[in-house]
Amino acid sequence: MTEKYVGKRMTRTEDPRLLTGQAQFVDDVQIPGMLHAAFLRSDYAHARLKSIDVSAARERPGVVAVFTAEDMGEDWRPSPPNVSPPPGMKGVTFYSRTPVPLVKDTVRHAGEALAIVIAESRYIAEDAVEDIWADLEPLDAAVDLETALDPDAPLVHDDLESNLAAHLAQEKGDYAAAREQADLVVKRRIVIDRCAAGAMENRGIVAHWDPKAEHLTVWDTTQAPIPIRNGLAALFGLTAPQVRVIAPFVGGGFGPKIMLYYPEEVLLTWATLKMGRPIKWIEDRRENFFATTQERGQVHYAEMALNKEGRILGIRHDFLHDTGAYNPYGLTIPLNTQSHAMGAYDVPNYASEIKVVFTNKTIVTPVRGAGRPQGIFLAERLLDIAARELGIDRVEIRLKNLIPPDAFPYEHKIIDQAFAPLVFDSGNYAATLEKAAAMIGYQKFIEEEQPRLRAEGKHVGLGIVPFVETSGVGPYEGGRVTVETDGRVSVATGVGTQGQGHFTSFAQIVSDQLGVSPRDVRIVTGDTDQFHWGTGTFASRGAVVAGNAIRAAAVTVRKKVLALASKVLETPEEELELVDGHVRVADIPRKSISLGELAAMANPLRGAVEPGTEPGLEATDYFGPQYGATANGAHALIVEVDPETMMIDIKRYVTVEDCGTVLNPLIVDGQIHGGVALGIANSYYEQLIYDENGQLLNASLADYLIPTSTEIPRIEIGHEETRSPLNPIGNKGVGEAGTIPVPSAFAQAMEDALSDYGLEVLEMPLSPNRLFELVHQGKE
Amino acid sequence: MKLQGEYVFDGPIGEVWEIIRDPEVLATALPGTQSLEQVGESEYVGKMHVRIGPVAGVFAGKIIVSDEVPPESCTLQVDGKGAPGFANGIGYVKLFEQEDGRTLMKYEGEMQVGGRLANAGQRLIDSASKSMIAQGLESLNNALKTRLLAEEEGIDIEYVPPSEAEFAAAVAKDVAREMLPPAQMAGIALAIAAVVLLLFFLLKRDED
Repeated sequence: MTEKYVGKRMTRTEDPRLLTGQAQFVDDVQIPGMLHAAFLRSDYAHARLKSIDVSAARERPGVVAVFTAEDMGEDWRPSPPNVSPPPGMKGVTFYSRTPVPLVKDTVRHAGEALAIVIAESRYIAEDAVEDIWADLEPLDAAVDLETALDPDAPLVHDDLESNLAAHLAQEKGDYAAAREQADLVVKRRIVIDRCAAGAMENRGIVAHWDPKAEHLTVWDTTQAPIPIRNGLAALFGLTAPQVRVIAPFVGGGFGPKIMLYYPEEVLLTWATLKMGRPIKWIEDRRENFFATTQERGQVHYAEMALNKEGRILGIRHDFLHDTGAYNPYGLTIPLNTQSHAMGAYDVPNYASEIKVVFTNKTIVTPVRGAGRPQGIFLAERLLDIAARELGIDRVEIRLKNLIPPDAFPYEHKIIDQAFAPLVFDSGNYAATLEKAAAMIGYQKFIEEEQPRLRAEGKHVGLGIVPFVETSGVGPYEGGRVTVETDGRVSVATGVGTQGQGHFTSFAQIVSDQLGVSPRDVRIVTGDTDQFHWGTGTFASRGAVVAGNAIRAAAVTVRKKVLALASKVLETPEEELELVDGHVRVADIPRKSISLGELAAMANPLRGAVEPGTEPGLEATDYFGPQYGATANGAHALIVEVDPETMMIDIKRYVTVEDCGTVLNPLIVDGQIHGGVALGIANSYYEQLIYDENGQLLNASLADYLIPTSTEIPRIEIGHEETRSPLNPIGNKGVGEAGTIPVPSAFAQAMEDALSDYGLEVLEMPLSPNRLFELVHQGKE
Repeated sequence: MKLQGEYVFDGPIGEVWEIIRDPEVLATALPGTQSLEQVGESEYVGKMHVRIGPVAGVFAGKIIVSDEVPPESCTLQVDGKGAPGFANGIGYVKLFEQEDGRTLMKYEGEMQVGGRLANAGQRLIDSASKSMIAQGLESLNNALKTRLLAEEEGIDIEYVPPSEAEFAAAVAKDVAREMLPPAQMAGIALAIAAVVLLLFFLLKRDED
């Protein structure tokens, strides 16, 4: 091999298509005779549907059909859960309530769909939505997380005794005993509020049943095309090969697009099966604020016990998790919070109780970070407060507690989101923190710069925190690698792509095995007719799980290439090399054959082959890790605050990431940039504000503040590289790493900048208004 | 959302009471009202076109007047819904006779809004509803003054209520005043004046 592509900073092969508008998105799908759908959605968060009159809508010219829950008859049923409810574990309570396609009797969150209108155009469909009269009797809504479990709280699901959706407790060691021995116990109430994912592309679906071919095609902005295909086939009594789900280019996933089944996915499929015509629905931005899932709302009652040297003896946190009106995603998010509530630290004793709560708000499923930012936030906040009380430097107290490099694999003795033991596989946590401290100039800042700036009357603070990110989880993914007769290589995998650069990273992996340029490797993702085994793109796992599956397939193809070339060139395999699309004899470069010619020979049209011969230069393989790889890192920032306006200026932002083997530094940097932007948004800009009736008060991009390039600073990125022992490439996920520690680092920097006000940050997100209030409370 | 305020009518308490209990006057005083019908002793139903910021549409609703103590006080219950969302509220209205023969109205109440009105119009809804109440009371007072003048002169004088556009413009101005600092308002006024002058100039030139 002359050139090695894994690890190379190369531009993305998919970008020319994306940047010139040639990439296909769901809304680009045009089919003759296609109809358009719009939904009537409830204005109330909680209401009884007494009657619904769609007759005027049906009479509007151009309207083809209007359906309500009643019209679905036997086909109306709640969707199967997205993530299986917990197995029968001791002490776990779980009440599964999944979304319904259309409201039959009770509205449980604002924006829940009451009827679908299908018309010749979207304009007509939208007008017809306004023709529908729904008689809704408003009910009191359960909105506030801390009062939703009160005995007199309105019930989201009135067949349950309370709004408790799940209950689970975990314990490691003996926290109560550790607390007894502690020199210091820090105890706080820590609140994280909701955010949206805010993907650039909203959701969209085109469903097309071809009655003559008896074939269903669904274009969907999903992160999980294969489970959607299998699920739709099962729901509607089709065989899986009769259903093709295509997730083409998708303008950002960030988690909510892994949710299945959204009511719209079920309804459009049901309607096309009934009508035999293609139907398109593209979510508008306002719908996205109600109909697409959200995350983060949790209230923690947390405490940390330490000795006077600053060693953590234990952490306890009981918390409420807001799951919204339904809980299709099981316990993934709160379990992730538990998995990260000990941070990157060696914590001998831990106790935590989760109460998942139904509320009359939009459904909660993971958003980039998925419970991890909340866990890291409480560990880092408590540690910051403890460091201040003990008079220990904040970097020093962290170095004292980090899991040491020789402790891996580190068994946490609690279970993770997969209900498997939580184990951190590898890492050098202290190295990343020290590198971040060096890059931001920690010592110099606190000893020289900050005193000087303070003397000038400036409020400038620094934040620095380490973090972990569980990633690259199972169960498995697969890939098929084929050498074409023109010498190019085709690769198909089941995961969908939403901007992660899969086309380039996967091509780099294949190129290293087959000696071709990544530009000659064509990747197909998210088309179930091309590859139909796998689960989806989530949990920072694509590059790890699908990447290693594709590598395994490429390794097998390489063996096939060498075996055939060895015969053709009459040279032992050990003396052959794969370079520039050719197999050649290492010492005699003239003696060679192209991959394309070999591919043609491997698929003869006449004659006989040896029994057992597989045609072509092709292989399919799968990869499932023993458990998920855990990435780690550290973030540091310097921020200036204007105490009069509370406007902020992030002067520097430093990240050090250890995601094991870096496939493509350019793509990894891009992931970190995007992740940090969301982290900053979660710290100071993006907050979904619900009133006491469950009305979302900022459901537009004028009021819900997604930061723009002017709010996001330049990001300086450093790397450590501790290879994961759990997979041959040695990589770990990095998709969510950028987001996870930002609120923790930001809070610390704010306290540092406003230290003369005695500020203590125990909530996220902040905003200029909220910060002003907190500073004034501090003064009183 | 809490609403609270007071207003002085230029007329005696009896006349004020009469005017605020007259659906026809109310309908004209609240521009955008497409219909207002009395369906019971103290129950009205009607339709009203409302625009708040980016949200506009027709509300269908009813008003129930209760706890009436003529001509001193009553309770208003409002319940409306339509394409822009829903609004319901309760208001307590009290009238006080003033020494100068005028009438002081004090009102307080609470309103809940939902749907598009709450989701997208939130930033404006507070100042817009306060302004709508103020503008509405102003119209009522003008209607009252017209009626009193007509009685005094013994002739028929027709009250000309503000058009929906005039009303909307007045509300928009109030909302802008609340949201923008005075300097900016002055700037905007100047800019508008400049644009008008420019248009005038251009049109003039066309005529020439």
